[in-house]
Amino acid sequence: MPEPIIETVALRKTYGDVEALRGLTLQVQAGSICGFLGRNGAGKTTTLKILLGMMRPTSGEARVFGRRADDSTASVEIRRDVAFVGEDKPLFDYMTVSEMVRFTAAFYPRWRRDLERHYLGIFGLSPAVKVKTLSRGMRTGLAVLLALCRDARLLILDEPTSGLDPAVSEQVLQALVSHVASAEMTVFFSSHHIAEVEQIADRVVMIDRGRATVAAALDDLREQYRRIRFVFDDDAPAVPVFRAEGVERVSRDGRVLTVLASGGAERIVEEARPLGPVSIDVIPVSLKEIFLESSGVEG
Amino acid sequence: MLWYKAWLETRWRFLIGLAVLLVFACGAVFDYPAIARLNASVSAIDAPGNLGRLIREAAETQRTYRGFIWFQWYRQNLVQMWTILAVLLGSGGLLAASSRAALFALSMPASRTRVAGVRAATALMELLVLALVPSLLIPLLSPAVGQHYGLGDTAVHSVSLFLAGSVFFSLAFLLSAVFDDFWRPMLITCAVALSQTLVGALVGLPFSGMLRVMSAESYFRSGQVPWVGLGLALTVGLLMLYAAVAVVERRDF
Repeated sequence: MPEPIIETVALRKTYGDVEALRGLTLQVQAGSICGFLGRNGAGKTTTLKILLGMMRPTSGEARVFGRRADDSTASVEIRRDVAFVGEDKPLFDYMTVSEMVRFTAAFYPRWRRDLERHYLGIFGLSPAVKVKTLSRGMRTGLAVLLALCRDARLLILDEPTSGLDPAVSEQVLQALVSHVASAEMTVFFSSHHIAEVEQIADRVVMIDRGRATVAAALDDLREQYRRIRFVFDDDAPAVPVFRAEGVERVSRDGRVLTVLASGGAERIVEEARPLGPVSIDVIPVSLKEIFLESSGVEG
Repeated sequence: MLWYKAWLETRWRFLIGLAVLLVFACGAVFDYPAIARLNASVSAIDAPGNLGRLIREAAETQRTYRGFIWFQWYRQNLVQMWTILAVLLGSGGLLAASSRAALFALSMPASRTRVAGVRAATALMELLVLALVPSLLIPLLSPAVGQHYGLGDTAVHSVSLFLAGSVFFSLAFLLSAVFDDFWRPMLITCAVALSQTLVGALVGLPFSGMLRVMSAESYFRSGQVPWVGLGLALTVGLLMLYAAVAVVERRDF
């Protein structure tokens, strides 16, 4: 198992009476592209800000590259090797594109001039243009350029395609994917766009109300999650208590009993067979359905 | 590059302030002949009470060119405008570029102390220039109206203004570390600065407290540099800057 680049243990963050994080525990392994999925207000941005030292946790621990993110000195060291693209694409509006690039490059000795020229062209950015006059797509392009040219080991993205049209979203995602493929980089990106996560991530952590609900490789999720539908002649029996592991949720609707399983579908089927279903269907579950289930939303 | 960023953030406030102060400095010198003629008749005014006393004192002070420059420039125009500029340059602080852009600065590998420190140091250097450069015009232009004004006087008054007046910058900077908006730090600090004058007026003093130290009145009247006042102002100012950095270090963004 590769070392975790990011690790949080029982992370809590409260704002007054509001609990944004309620004991979040997660790991992101080196070299992975990890999607951080959650609904709005689930605690994604708070987590990323804690990792970057912009916020301090109420309790618990967050480590990046093995260093404590809430330690001021360690946090500066962490940020030497981290590139961040915020949700609102925070940039200095009063600077030109060229000034913004020079400002950022000054902090990173391994700044990639070749990539800078490449992405200026890809995103159609003119060096002399003021940041405040850029379209949302170009602003995102500049934010991505400033992140990728640092040659950082970890890229943290907060809703990278938020507010972009599909064409620009695709352009940004392609730039990220092709860069990560050619660099030894770990990516941790938050999103509530499932298609985006499916497109570029190899691992996923789902967060709901400040807690991690699912953390697994995307392939494992696709392979192991199943929806099992038991159809009965008459009304389905009262929701049984399954002994088999992997039962995430059981629901009953008329003649149909549905089980969402995160693994061990065969054992669940065997356990339910004595109830006398007339038909049993084991159906693969999409990431969207897993996400909705983990968020407590009826699929 | 943090210096460059701080310069870009403050340059318009600084440059506009410098231009205005340069114009007023020229005005102070070239107004002298007309004011001197007026002054001759003011002493004959027999206004009763406190107002009359203040008018006579003002006329008496401005009887000499040195007194006129101190009264018009170092006691009024420069002190008032410089204080406003100190408040403007102190307001905003780390969050001046809105909390959105502050996140970008905070994502760089630089400590918050360094980011805030560079911002404060840049503004303080600009304030030193604003205190010195327009004032230097006065000894340079004085021969044009047949007068002389000493460089020593210029240095003492300008540096006193900078050292004592930096308290208002530090207060605005501290409040900017506490409040996210631009307006509250600015308005609160302006109110504090204004109260200095109002308190003086209410208790019958023509000029009061920190503003008296900023204008180095004791130096003008008796050649005594207001060391105690300057030392106190410097200490309070540094404490407030330290507190501002401590607040920035601890707060969430």
